[in-house]
Amino acid sequence: MGLRRHRAPLFAVGAAAIACAFTLVAGAAVGAVPFAFGIVVAQIVHPDVSTQAGRILWDIRIPRVAIAALVGAALGMAGTLLQTMLRNPLVDPYLTGASAGAACAIAIGIAAGAAAALLPLLAFIAALLTAVLVAALARTGAGLSHERLILAGISLSALFAGIVTLVILLSPRASTSLSILAWLGGSLAGRGWADARGAAIYAGCGAALALALAPTLNGLRFGETRARALGVDVERAGWGILASASLLTAAAVSISGVVGFVGLIVPHIARRIVGDDARFTLVTSTLIGAMLVVLADAVARSIAPPLDLPVGVLLSMFGVPIFIFLAFRHRVA
Amino acid sequence: MIDVRGVALGYGGCRILEDVSLTIRDGELLAIVGPNGVGKSTLLRAIAGLRPVEAGSIVVQGRAIDSLAGRERGRIIALIEADGPLPDHMTVSDVVAGGRLPYRPWWHWSSTPEDRRAIDLAIELTEIEALRDRPFAELSSGERQRVWIALAVAQDTRVLLLDEPTSHLDIRHTFDMLTLIRRLVAGGKSAVVVLHDLNVAAAFADRIALLGERKLLACDTPARVFDELLLGRVYGIPIAVRREADGSVLAFAVAPARSR
Repeated sequence: MGLRRHRAPLFAVGAAAIACAFTLVAGAAVGAVPFAFGIVVAQIVHPDVSTQAGRILWDIRIPRVAIAALVGAALGMAGTLLQTMLRNPLVDPYLTGASAGAACAIAIGIAAGAAAALLPLLAFIAALLTAVLVAALARTGAGLSHERLILAGISLSALFAGIVTLVILLSPRASTSLSILAWLGGSLAGRGWADARGAAIYAGCGAALALALAPTLNGLRFGETRARALGVDVERAGWGILASASLLTAAAVSISGVVGFVGLIVPHIARRIVGDDARFTLVTSTLIGAMLVVLADAVARSIAPPLDLPVGVLLSMFGVPIFIFLAFRHRVA
Repeated sequence: MIDVRGVALGYGGCRILEDVSLTIRDGELLAIVGPNGVGKSTLLRAIAGLRPVEAGSIVVQGRAIDSLAGRERGRIIALIEADGPLPDHMTVSDVVAGGRLPYRPWWHWSSTPEDRRAIDLAIELTEIEALRDRPFAELSSGERQRVWIALAVAQDTRVLLLDEPTSHLDIRHTFDMLTLIRRLVAGGKSAVVVLHDLNVAAAFADRIALLGERKLLACDTPARVFDELLLGRVYGIPIAVRREADGSVLAFAVAPARSR
């Protein structure tokens, strides 16, 4: 009976996984030098870097697609975690202040002349520290106040945004300001395997924690009091969800800068497809997040080559109208 | 069995209940009545282990309630609150399946055959088979209440705590709801039910606990608790009590004479 009841969402998760795999291959095939699907698949099955195609794919395209997928997957999952916990469909992963904190550190780092290779690590540490600060402000006794979490996240984000603007305005060199703006636009340009590896470890830890919390998230859907009565440790669940979402968001921000709206929209699409069961929503939002950013990045790279548009800017152009639609529908409801 | 001894409860330094002591036996239905804001729901939450007591102790099935871990507590006591956020996008069987959460370690992603048996049994006992695949949010108040009870039955606890299970229900659904609770009690569970309607409490409960004036004023059979002077004092209006030949009692608020 259990399998029969879960057959529809399981089928949807399977379909999303196939679509995601297809998108990843397509993402690697598209670019200034386009490749046939067969060549990409052949290279993935039997890597051969002695050919030109192999070198382009393994040194440039595949790492780039992997990073785009990682960023989308992490943001999609973090968005689902926070929207479910806060029972608010308008929450996005940057609510924890992670992106604003990272942006502030990056702006100061670039202005101070920090080496480019150090920036992802700097962003990761700043994102995580900001999330810890927001969590500390949201703490009440053993638990986490949802209202305080939202207020602390928004206030600190505003503070850090102010500092970033100040750094850009006071910067004597135009190149510094441009570098900071490019980072704020959310870009995957120039990222390689080394960046992906570091972020993948942290995102992997966050994802493992999130999946372990899936049954608990389902308990929270009954509301806090009922969840407690059903034996859910609401306080511990809150800290676990925040830690997992912060790790995922920090990992994404460290390699991509501020890629907006993925974490807001993807949970909605996932719920539309598989329903509200957190076990299915978490997995599906990971797949759809990956798909969305890989697609957007493919468009960003191939819309006017050799121009490499910031993927964050491109997603905002699609994201804003959808956000307005969601907000409006929510208000009417 | 639930043993409440000398319990005091309060909010932010303000005591709302002092020195409450009562015992609920297995297979007994106790109704808690009293005016709005007297602390009925607060007492129920304290018995459920969801609110700390300021003094005294609560022992459920031989275990101090504050010594139980969350999941262990969820296997002994089920609390049903009608009010509160509605679960979104859940079918009736999803909601009932929530009752198995206290039995599921965090690494168990799917339900066991035992979970599924408990869910099926709960759905059958509460007679909601026809609603099984309906979205919960689309149900009527009466249907929702039955589903919450089914969740508690799936939870398979000895103790049922129900906070105003008949609010928003018409007379027929109130009757059906209390008959269902009575049937569960006959099966050996003990139930504590917060009710507003004194006559419903008198008709279905074995004993009634009357809260008022920041304490437990009476805890006895309906016939003994229904005292015109006592009820009148607690509710602050004149109340008349009618005693029937079969021993049952009814209480009415005496309306002031209407002038033409």
